[in-house]
Formats: sequence, structure tokens, C-alpha cells
Amino acid sequence: MKNKPIILDCDTGVDDAIAIMLANKISQFDLRGITTVAGNVELKKTTSNTLRVLELIDSHVPVYAGAAAPLFRDQVTAGHVHGENGLGGIHLPLHRTVVPNLKAWDVIYREAVHYPGELELIAVGPLTNLGLAFLKYRELPSLINRIVLMGGSATMGNVTPAAEFNIFADPEAADIVFRSGVPVYMCGLDVTEQAYYTSDDINQVGALQSEPAKFFRDVTQGLLSFSLDFGLPGVCLHDPMTVLYAEDDSIFETHHVGIHVETKGVLTQGKTVTDLYSDKKMEPNAYIVTKVDRKAFQSRLFDLMASY
Amino acid sequence: MKKIPVILDGDPGHDDAIAWVLANASDFLDIKACTSVCGNQTIEKTTYNALRIMSLIGLDVPFAMGREKPLLGDPMNAPSVHGQTGLDGPVLPEPLIKPLAINSVELMAQVLDESEEPVYLIPTGPLTNIGALLLLYPQLKPKIARISLMGGGISFGNWTPAAEFNILVDPEAADIVFRSGVPITMAGLDVTQRALVFPEDFERIRALNNPVALVMAEWLDFFYRFHRTKGYVGAPVHDAVAVVALIKPQILTMKELYVQIEKTGDYCRGMTVADRFGVCGNPPNATVIMDIDRSAFIDLLVAAASYYGKEVR
Repeated sequence: MKNKPIILDCDTGVDDAIAIMLANKISQFDLRGITTVAGNVELKKTTSNTLRVLELIDSHVPVYAGAAAPLFRDQVTAGHVHGENGLGGIHLPLHRTVVPNLKAWDVIYREAVHYPGELELIAVGPLTNLGLAFLKYRELPSLINRIVLMGGSATMGNVTPAAEFNIFADPEAADIVFRSGVPVYMCGLDVTEQAYYTSDDINQVGALQSEPAKFFRDVTQGLLSFSLDFGLPGVCLHDPMTVLYAEDDSIFETHHVGIHVETKGVLTQGKTVTDLYSDKKMEPNAYIVTKVDRKAFQSRLFDLMASY
Repeated sequence: MKKIPVILDGDPGHDDAIAWVLANASDFLDIKACTSVCGNQTIEKTTYNALRIMSLIGLDVPFAMGREKPLLGDPMNAPSVHGQTGLDGPVLPEPLIKPLAINSVELMAQVLDESEEPVYLIPTGPLTNIGALLLLYPQLKPKIARISLMGGGISFGNWTPAAEFNILVDPEAADIVFRSGVPITMAGLDVTQRALVFPEDFERIRALNNPVALVMAEWLDFFYRFHRTKGYVGAPVHDAVAVVALIKPQILTMKELYVQIEKTGDYCRGMTVADRFGVCGNPPNATVIMDIDRSAFIDLLVAAASYYGKEVR
């Protein structure tokens, strides 16, 4: 089978770092590039963190920087969750400091033209780069196979009571993406909160002893204690789960629904509004992932980390 | 037994009607007054329905009519759910009493003012009357023991994907209520869509064969016909849960939450936004009902229907 051309768009970030390590080991992915966006931390850090992680796993996938700020809003970051440096305070060496002088949205378009109808975008940060790509290249939607994204939720938020961080950070960009006509597969909090790694699960990976495995263990420690304090059973691996969904959706439950982004509400801006549970239906424009077989997720992730 | 004083405020409506049947049959409630609000149908129709229900169940208390529209928005009705009359289905007796010359809010204020102990309000329609009461008579706030309302939903809506009908019709009034500091019990869609009365339960009620039970069974028949088209396996008797919260709370699962009302937005106007993870840092302002023991709920409805007479076979 031919490998799927993929661009991973991320705001690296603890769980983005793990997502990159997984994407690198998924044999059916032809990772064309990683694009970075401001999100969990500032763009400079998300870009250098991405390079650091690639250096750790000895990958030469090209990295392209994207938007340093949301389309219309001031940036919100999540340093309290991901640590000041975005990687939970873990310092990885960095030698490759220069990235190509090509913007994320331009590279998305270039690859889409190169693989018309095949390119898949996996977006695990705010959707600013994708929004800009759609704004700049009108024919882009028809060239993209699908978008698998981490963001939103059917029923709850995390950064506000109604909104999840990635969508809240750039609601207008998210709105452009959900209206683009490209099939959007939304891995929101509904399912990513089921995709957690307990302390034992983390140690099991750590015991693999490879450098990436040890990094996995170390980089998740801060988030683990944050999550346990919060009453969660472990670290929710939002972004890694999203990458695994893009690889194989058979361990997940998915529904074809209408999803729109609230950009104007005072209390609800950044909420992904879906008709999944409502009597009132909308035109279906997206897919929402609602369930994951946690055991299968846990073991697939472990196997990929074990391949280092 | 000591009864608690209550005011029933609704837009009947099949499930309002069943809520009132339940309230009137309860030993725990002393119904001081009833009021109407526009919602499921126009104020003329909900008023007429309220009076016919009172006449059917022998509820002879002061009644006053609400205003013809929400505080700020335009009226919104639900004929697809409740029919053109707002209470389609069985033939009902004509009203025995007339509305008072004062309006619903004045009647509520009068009851609160005259009551020695704080009064419970049970709004099962849009919160227009309660919002107006809180705006116009702030000094009476301490006389409200609790507002046990049907409205909202912390996970999803019904009239829009994000908003439930009662809150959507008058979000400004709902906002006043949720900001008021008065204790609130919220029976939202989270629980009310689980308060399902199945067709076999209709027959238990019908078999009681008294005039109220027969009408109630036909209301359920009508209400279910609409909901079946939406994939329901029974009739969700939303409004009755707001009454259950006062007469039999032990069959409910509840959660203390901070709930705000979204008044703006392209998709979210009328949404009840609940802070489940405490990210706002505000203390809870509502007791949100999340689940119900369905079979205990059915037993309660059947017992209420039998209050109006039981045929010995």
C-alpha cells in the first residue's frame, strides 16, 4: 500500500512532542513536513522544540514555521500546563537551528498540489496555519483528502467552561477550517480525555530505556502531577491520540455530524457547537470522535515507542 | 404534615400540564398561585391551557397571566411539539376561574409579600416572569426559598444544538435568575431527556380510568408522537422533573455547579454554560440535576394520577 502523504501541524508542547515521535514511526505515513504554530508556547519555542524532538529521534523531516499569532486575536498560551519552555522543563540538545524560508501555509499548498486529493493534515495546535492556507489558496480545499485535528469538544471546555484550548486560541481560524468543505475529523476532549496514560503506563514506556522512551517518561512528569491534582486518572495524550486516529480509526467510535465554531459568544467563544446530542440537527460537515478503546490505544502507543 | 408554599409558573404545554398534575397531587406542596408565561404557545393560548388544566385537576388558586413576549427578544413558540393549541390532544373542560386583573409578576409579588415563610417557585417555561419579578421587586428576593426550574442543559441543547427551548426564548430573564443569588435547582436536558415515560407506562396511567388519568395518558400519547420522530423511546416529561426536585429529591442525582447564561453568539445564545472543572473560580450557583431513577419517577407519576380517583375492578 502506498504511504499517506501527511503534514503534521503542531505547537510543540509536551503531548505534541510525543505525537511527533509516534508519527515518525508509523510506517504508513509519508511525513512530508512538520509545520509549527504559536499555541502552547510562542512560535519560536514551538519551532525549536519541534527541531529538538526531531534531533532526539534522528529524523530529518523538514520543519516549517507558521503563524506567530492568531488571525485576529491576542495570543493565549498554556505555559502553566507545558512548562515555560513548552517541554515540561526538559532540555533537549539543538543543533539544527535554521528552518527553510517557506511558510507553513505555503508548504501545505505545495504538498497539496503535489499530492492532489491525497494529502492529509494532522493539526494538533491552534488552526491558524490551516486558516491562512485556506485564505490564501482558494482551491486548496479540493486538493486535501482530510483534516484530522485535536481540538474542541461536544460537551465541555478546558480553558473556559465552554471551549477547548486549541479552538479557543484561534476561533476564527477554526471557523474557516470547519467551513472549508474538507472533511474534518475532530478529536476533541470527549475522546482525548479517555486517552490517558497512568503513572504505570508511563513507567512502562520509560523502562524501554531508549533515549526517546526516557524522554517520554521525563517530559510527561509535570503534566502527570498537574493531571492527578486535577482528579484525572493520568495524563491525557490529546495529540498522540489524534495521530493514532489518523493512522487507524478502528479502535475509535466516530459520528458524522454538524460542527460549527462559536466566534462571538461572550461565554462560549471557541466552543465547537455540535448537534451530536441535540434534537436540532445541522448539515453534517464533520466527523466527531467520541470513544476510544483505551487499552488498545495504550498498547499501540507503547509498541510505537518500543520501536525506538 | 407541613407543606411548603409554591407558585407554579408555566407555559402549558403537555409536560407543564403533567408537572401541575403531579404538584397538585403532592402532600408536600401548598400551591399558592399559578401564573402563565409565553413559550410553547402565545400567552393567550398558554393562559387558556393553564386555566383548563386547573379546572380539570380541581386546582382553585389565584391565577394571573404573564406578558405577551420575553423581556427583550421576540416571542418564540413550539407548535411542532405541542400543537396549534399548545396542548393538543384530549378535550379539556372549560376554565372555571378567570385570571385576576393583576399580572403574573404582581401576583407573584403579592404571594411572596403575604407569605410568612419563603416561597418556592417552580417555573416550567421561559423565565420571563421570574426575571421580571427579580428586577421589579428586588426587596422580595429573601422571600424566595428556591427556584426549581426546568430549563437548559449543561451538555447540549434541543431547540438549537447548544440551547434548550425555555432558556433560548428568554436568555436575558434566565441570566437575571442565574445571577440572582437565589438558590436554584436546574432540571435541564441532562436529566429531563432521561425522564422518559414509555408507552407501557401510559397504559398504567390510563388503566386508573379517572378523568385526570385518562387525559394525562392522552397527553402522553400526543407528546410521544412528536418525540418518536426524533428517535425517543418514550415521552420526556421535562417539566415534571422540576416538581420532583421538591417532592422526591432522593430519586435524583444532583451536582453543585456554577452556571452562566450565554446571551450572545451565532450558535450559543441561550446556552447554560456550566463550569464543570472550576476554571472560573466562582462558587456554585445552581444545583444541577444530572440523572433520575426512571422507574421511581414512573411510580410517582402513577401515584399522582391515582390521587384523582381509582377505579376498583
